[in-house]
Amino acid sequence: MVNLRRERLKVAVIGLGKMGILHAGILNVLPDVQLTALCDKSSMLLKFSKKVFTGVRIVNDVEKLHGLDLDVVYLTTPIFSHSIVAKNIYLREIARNLFVEKTLASSYDEAKELCELAQSSGGINMVGYMKRFAVTFKKAKDLLTRGTLGEVISFDAYAYSSDFLGSKKSSSVSRGGALRDLGCHAVDLALWFFGDLQVDSVKPLSERDSEDSVYFRVKKSNGLEGEFSVSRCMENYRLPEVGLLIRGSKGVMRVNDDKVDLKLDDGKSFTWYRHDLDDNVFFWLGAPEYFREDEYFVKSVLGGRDVEPGFYTASRVDYIIDQVRYRAG
Amino acid sequence: MSNERKKILLVGDNPFHGISHLSQEQARVRGSAMTYPEYAADLVMTSLENGADGFMFSVSGMTLSMLRIIQEKGEVKGLRLYGMVPYVFEYVRLAAQIGTPELIKKFAKQITFSGNVRAIATGLKGVVRTDPMALLKTYLIYEISRIKSSAGKEANLESVLLNEVIADTALALNLDWLFRSYVDFMLDLGIKPGFNTRNFAYLVNKFREWDIGFSDVVIVAPFNRVGFQMNPSKTECEKALASLVETNIIAISILAAGYLKPLEAIKYIASLPNIKGVAVGVSRGQHARETFRLLKDRL
Repeated sequence: MVNLRRERLKVAVIGLGKMGILHAGILNVLPDVQLTALCDKSSMLLKFSKKVFTGVRIVNDVEKLHGLDLDVVYLTTPIFSHSIVAKNIYLREIARNLFVEKTLASSYDEAKELCELAQSSGGINMVGYMKRFAVTFKKAKDLLTRGTLGEVISFDAYAYSSDFLGSKKSSSVSRGGALRDLGCHAVDLALWFFGDLQVDSVKPLSERDSEDSVYFRVKKSNGLEGEFSVSRCMENYRLPEVGLLIRGSKGVMRVNDDKVDLKLDDGKSFTWYRHDLDDNVFFWLGAPEYFREDEYFVKSVLGGRDVEPGFYTASRVDYIIDQVRYRAG
Repeated sequence: MSNERKKILLVGDNPFHGISHLSQEQARVRGSAMTYPEYAADLVMTSLENGADGFMFSVSGMTLSMLRIIQEKGEVKGLRLYGMVPYVFEYVRLAAQIGTPELIKKFAKQITFSGNVRAIATGLKGVVRTDPMALLKTYLIYEISRIKSSAGKEANLESVLLNEVIADTALALNLDWLFRSYVDFMLDLGIKPGFNTRNFAYLVNKFREWDIGFSDVVIVAPFNRVGFQMNPSKTECEKALASLVETNIIAISILAAGYLKPLEAIKYIASLPNIKGVAVGVSRGQHARETFRLLKDRL
């Protein structure tokens, strides 16, 4: 890794959907960033973007980013295109430092290939598992690291939303199904909290369509067991929610996007809401965790420091998803 | 507090959409009763009887149904309405289900079938000339017509506010032209333009830089004793607030989503300068009566 000499990073965002606009906005307020180019295939979107964004190059093809002397590219296109676009960025030497929205790729094989390319580029790479930057999950990780729960015995993880409840259309192909679209956050958090896991058994939760709901169990070599329940058709989950119940030798902890509940066997109990965990950021867009994630990545690139979750770490999520799909048939 | 003026007291609509910013679990525990328009409209009317002046709401099928019910019950006269657009949640959910292109088609159909000639004409101009502001105007004309037809002529549509997702994204992207055009367009319609933001201090600085007058606009932002959603910090937001004159600032999240007790929350708001009003959500009749009586007495 090398420290970059310039004070402001020249950054391009590829894919002007919801996540692309969100990252472009946050990057634009970061003092260390010069938002340099935006790229999308949609001709209508490009026409409007040219009217909306001034001082930013708008292009319809990744190859047109070549020669812009970019330091960083944010890749926020649909998941199925991550592999081909990211390869293009590396092979055409458009930028060495790459941020990819989750999931890294649409299969573990693709993810492995991107890890190799990233390694040979010598740049810094990151995948947008932003839950790691939510104050509640950071608190939970801190408690686990300190050994507050003692030895972790088992966990139940969930990722629920009502997004497709009552929907005639069972899934949006570009989002990759419930596990890849939503459940990947729960998988990433579990890998972050407990280390590598192996899929033990799988069953779909929904008779209608396994793309919308899935249940699976995992094991770790030290005996830790866990289960995941993922669904985009749950009632009363207006906003997507990810959470874990973790059982340890000294107590139990529940954590989700909103709070951490800790109950210890000695009778002590604690609750931390976001309110208690210093959740404010320099600029709030979407959720505070997005700002923290982007700020961390930008500062790491400027300082030449590796980041987590990098491509290799994120590829383990793709590995678990592939295992679940394989076992589900 | 001096009694030279009273603050505007508005009923917020978060509970009616099943939202709790404390925790989604809390929203689920509260149950679904308040997401029924009849029940929610009753809560608004109870709040009005106990000191509330108006209703701040995201423009959705649910809240428009509530307005129709309130109008039918003859409670709409003088009701101060603060409509927030767009109801982003619904659009994001639909985009997830059917994709963004299908969502745009569906929305274009809605506007066409609404028969709103001005909206259709402005929209066509926007598409032909790829003019984003013309499209925004189309959308605003459409939403304002929906509010007015639901609430009736006797209601007082004081402000139409851009939801924080739009306002803060535009702020982040430095789209000064969007803010200016929006302000001019709404003032031409005789409605106060408003902006909901979770970046109050940043917005104040930008509006100064862009020379947008604070007396012309309504700004809705979180203010509470624990600094919840007050970015970048409670101190910076308080400083920005204190630096203003002639403002229309409406404080939201004053209870920090239920984290604070009403008395301590109100005491903090009463201590702040330049707050024109507050919006507070209620979920039960007793809650509505107690909350708005307290707000009326203390603010």
